Amino acid sequence: MTGTSGEPVPLGRAAVPPGVPPSVHRARQRQAAPNGIWGMVLFLCAEITLFGTIIGSYYYLDFNSVHWPQAGIAPEPVAQPSLATAWLVVTLLPIWWANRQAHRGRRESAIEWILFALAVQAGYLAFQIHLYINDFHHFQPQHSAYGSIYYTLMTLDHAHVAFGLALDLVLIVRLATKGLSNYWLIGVRGLAIYWYVVVAITVIVLFVQLTPSL
Amino acid sequence: MATVVTPRGEEYVERLERVWKPRPGLVGWLTTTDHKRIGILYFFTTLLFFGAGGVEALLIRTQLIGPNGHVLSPQAFDEVFTMHGITMIFLFVIPMTTGAFGNYLLPLMIGARDMAFPRMNAVSYWIFLGSGIFMYVGMVTGHAPNAGWFDYVPLASKTYSPSSNIDFYGWGLIFNGISSTAASVNFIVTIFKMRAPGMSLNRMPLFCYAFLAAAFSLLFALPALSCATLFLELDRQLGFHFYDTAHGGNPLLWQNLFWIFGHPEVYIIILPAFGIATSIIPTFTHRRMVFFPLVALSEVLVAFLGFGVWAHHMFAVGFATITTIYFAAVSLIIVIPSAIQLFAWIATILTGKPDFKTPLLFIVGFIVWFIMGGLSGITLAAIPFDQQVTDSYYVVAHFHMVIFGAAVYPILGGMHYWFPKVTGRMYNEAVGKLSFWLTFLGTLLTFFPMHIVGLVGMPRRNYTYPANMGWTGLNFTETIGAYILASGLVLIVLNLFISRFRGEPSQDPFHGDTLEWATTSPPPHYNFAVIPTVTTPYNMYDEKDREHDNVRLDRGEGVLATGHETPATTAQDGALDEVLEMPSYSWWPPIVGLLLACFFAMLLVAHWWIAAGFFVLGLLALFAWHNQEPSDT
Amino acid sequence: MALAGCSSGRQSIVEPASKPSHDIAVLWWWMLGAAAIVFFGAVALLVIAYFKRGARGLPFFGEREGVAEGMVVMFGVAIPIVALVALFGVSNIYLIGESSPPKSGTTAMTIQVIGHQWWWEVRYPGTGVVTANEIHVPIHTRVNVIVTTDDVIHSFWVPELNRKIDMIPGYRNRILLDGSRLGEFRGQCAEYCGFQHAHMSFEVFVQRPAVFHRWLAGQERPPVPASSATAQAGERVFMTSQCESCHTIAGTPAQGTIGPNLTHLASRVGLAAEQIPNNPKELAAWIRNPQAIKPGTRMPDLGLSSTQIGQLVAYLDSLR
Repeated sequence: MTGTSGEPVPLGRAAVPPGVPPSVHRARQRQAAPNGIWGMVLFLCAEITLFGTIIGSYYYLDFNSVHWPQAGIAPEPVAQPSLATAWLVVTLLPIWWANRQAHRGRRESAIEWILFALAVQAGYLAFQIHLYINDFHHFQPQHSAYGSIYYTLMTLDHAHVAFGLALDLVLIVRLATKGLSNYWLIGVRGLAIYWYVVVAITVIVLFVQLTPSL
Repeated sequence: MATVVTPRGEEYVERLERVWKPRPGLVGWLTTTDHKRIGILYFFTTLLFFGAGGVEALLIRTQLIGPNGHVLSPQAFDEVFTMHGITMIFLFVIPMTTGAFGNYLLPLMIGARDMAFPRMNAVSYWIFLGSGIFMYVGMVTGHAPNAGWFDYVPLASKTYSPSSNIDFYGWGLIFNGISSTAASVNFIVTIFKMRAPGMSLNRMPLFCYAFLAAAFSLLFALPALSCATLFLELDRQLGFHFYDTAHGGNPLLWQNLFWIFGHPEVYIIILPAFGIATSIIPTFTHRRMVFFPLVALSEVLVAFLGFGVWAHHMFAVGFATITTIYFAAVSLIIVIPSAIQLFAWIATILTGKPDFKTPLLFIVGFIVWFIMGGLSGITLAAIPFDQQVTDSYYVVAHFHMVIFGAAVYPILGGMHYWFPKVTGRMYNEAVGKLSFWLTFLGTLLTFFPMHIVGLVGMPRRNYTYPANMGWTGLNFTETIGAYILASGLVLIVLNLFISRFRGEPSQDPFHGDTLEWATTSPPPHYNFAVIPTVTTPYNMYDEKDREHDNVRLDRGEGVLATGHETPATTAQDGALDEVLEMPSYSWWPPIVGLLLACFFAMLLVAHWWIAAGFFVLGLLALFAWHNQEPSDT
Repeated sequence: MALAGCSSGRQSIVEPASKPSHDIAVLWWWMLGAAAIVFFGAVALLVIAYFKRGARGLPFFGEREGVAEGMVVMFGVAIPIVALVALFGVSNIYLIGESSPPKSGTTAMTIQVIGHQWWWEVRYPGTGVVTANEIHVPIHTRVNVIVTTDDVIHSFWVPELNRKIDMIPGYRNRILLDGSRLGEFRGQCAEYCGFQHAHMSFEVFVQRPAVFHRWLAGQERPPVPASSATAQAGERVFMTSQCESCHTIAGTPAQGTIGPNLTHLASRVGLAAEQIPNNPKELAAWIRNPQAIKPGTRMPDLGLSSTQIGQLVAYLDSLR
């Protein structure tokens, strides 16, 4: 009941064709998404809901306040955060491509594209941290409810990007050392889905952040 | 009624025994990823917390046996009633239904060999244990949370609660929430992807529908609680201002966030109980559930609608009338799916041949209390009436009827029903019946008078009350009732404990209708020697399918004995999709649990950098965990 | 006054003394009736199930599945929809106007109540009257009560006169008091607010207009200066023993706002938010050891001697 390279073959399935990594063959044979992807999607549902409640809280405080931002804080300038977020959105392309390459069995190519995405995403995060520190000089979270919700929202979003960078790194290291096994092929797909969702959340967070300026 | 094993089949069974053998002793339990062992760990841990919560309840009732009581000081009383609520909800009822019953039974019922993510299942347990110990450390050090289980601000803010009591609550619940979130992901993927080939969604037991609905609710409700408690701790520890009016915050933000979680939470509590009831009723009435598809749909609808009613806990807050009217309307709509299920159960009992053994007795008790609690709930959707009785003992009566009467009774019934499955022995039926009647009488005497004492004006969360209010006699009755109730529960535990060692050997005494009864009692580590054949609903009652299992075992088809294997299927039709390798044991779940506990402990004492260190260590442990691919072990 | 303790007023939802609470009580009795029918009806079905447990199917209807399914649809969908729509209409469309905050311009007088841990500050705007733990209103008069809090969330609840309304920092909620019966009605805080939440009660006096106005006039007058020597000594004790840092007595240097206003303390029925009756003995006990009577209360032990306490009580007793 096992295939040529020791990977179990589902009952009644074809044997692995030559030149195709077993994991890729197995992925092609599947009709349903693998459990790991279900797990990643459901985890992201929880994260989306978490951001939803924080964003909901932002607007709750906004609608219940006379002035927003409160306490004389100046609205955010629009240009720099928007450009930065656009930059992050663009990195979805190398991530998507890396996933595609991995599912064609091209391990080295997948590693290169993830590495490229990682570099650009890291640059994005560094710039966002710079803007964050800048904001901090003008107002702090202990200043007002506006400050509290603003910094909490931004910190959580940046934390999710940072976690994504860690995931990028883990994938790169694992693909390089363990190869394109079934487990890590699913991992690449999971990474891609993670980024799609986190970037979408970041775009929404941008709109929330700029609410007073729009 | 296990599969019949031929000599040829015996070879396969021996291979399975070898492959699935756990590590011996304590190490085996610490590193287990076996859903049955994890279920048993959850069971005993939650039982212990049930005992703690019960002691807290008896302390409350003893303090309130007469006016101007001196059993507990006001400070102690506040900690006791708060911990009673937190323990019963977060450390007993949810982990007992999802962690114990769900974990143990779900893979067996769907013909699988384990949950979708066995190691994550284990870490859910260790995190749950850690969070329970975390909160009880607060109690033991005299700093138990003391602002009620819903912990309203500003009372829970640093200004009015300067000590660490509330921090045990805030960090403790975020900690506990991680366990439940992980568990809900596990349940959803298991139910959708791990069913035996042929078990399409319409052939899946109602138990699974109930747990699926509860799992989705948990997933979407917990973030609101985590958000609320995160904001609270940021306010308390770092001087943020989410909830404080002086700096633009809003105390009602807490209430809204809390109840956005809190209302779905009560459906999360009751849905698994519905699932247990819908397993017991067909078996003991010897007929199928009346209107099965409508019941399944209702279970899902209740979970969904439960997200739209939260502000009915806030009718006295001063909302615009139109807002209260909207929430009351949805609260009334949600009665319909509950009523559908209720009458389906009653119709099934009425039209079947019910055998009123202990498990069914508890379900009948559940139905009685669910009707009573449901009716008082309906009265609470009449807004002016709610605005009179909210925060009085009337509401305490309502929620104890639905939480204790309606959510705990199926747990008690289920403990008896599945006792033979888990232990291979039968409990004492006569003692079982006696314990039911004691519990029933105790429930009646404890909680029914609370409706009355609330109507005559006794507010809740009062550590004492004056004489001459007309409350004394009712409170006295409630306290006596509580002791009778406690004796019933103790008798249940004694019956099951003694029967564990001295009960008659028993494999399938009730002729259960779902697949867990297709294997031996207790099940072997690999659950099924051959993955069961499924072509109809009420899988156990299909004799052709069960015969076919024997044939397939003999041929070695679907035995999957090469490694720790179990099939994965498509989500809707249950068609075989691939064979999965499962991990068999791992040290990483308890290690991650421990690191997370240290992380939260450091947050509690405000050592931020050390906490960050533990967080990083936790991430590294997760990396090492994923380094160990399932096929490696 | 209340010799038998401060619980002379009753606090029962089913003993209404105003139109809103009367309507809610009537609603309750109807709901109880309907609920009893449903409950006992369902229990009857279960009892029937027990007695006919030997045979499948239903008496009369036999084993047809359609009958069982019809039962589910009738009792689980059709009848509930009708009943719930009726309930919704009666309570949430018709009755709700009664218990909602009064529209501006429809009330004859306004009172402000501010919640504190664990007492009630009561103000009569436009008159300068400030008292604590007691509300006086004329009968058959629509009174607009504006509630808020100085610290944590409390809830203003006098069941015999109306539903409860929460007192939330930063919010000014409103509720109608419109007594239709003379008497003394007990209220109690109905939102857990800390250690002494159980001991935060108040009394509402619904009085004839003449009686009410006499009371109000008495409250508006400055207190008569202390006449007896003991009382005067007590006044000195009051002003020099930290009392004045928390309490206000109009016309004196004592202008503290942390604790209740004591200007007309002797005119009140109870002390410590109606936990003990207002008489010299109880007052002395309270001053001597407030923590023994209301553990956790903000009132400190002042460490006064018996003589000083005696003088203080004489002074406070003169504040009519």
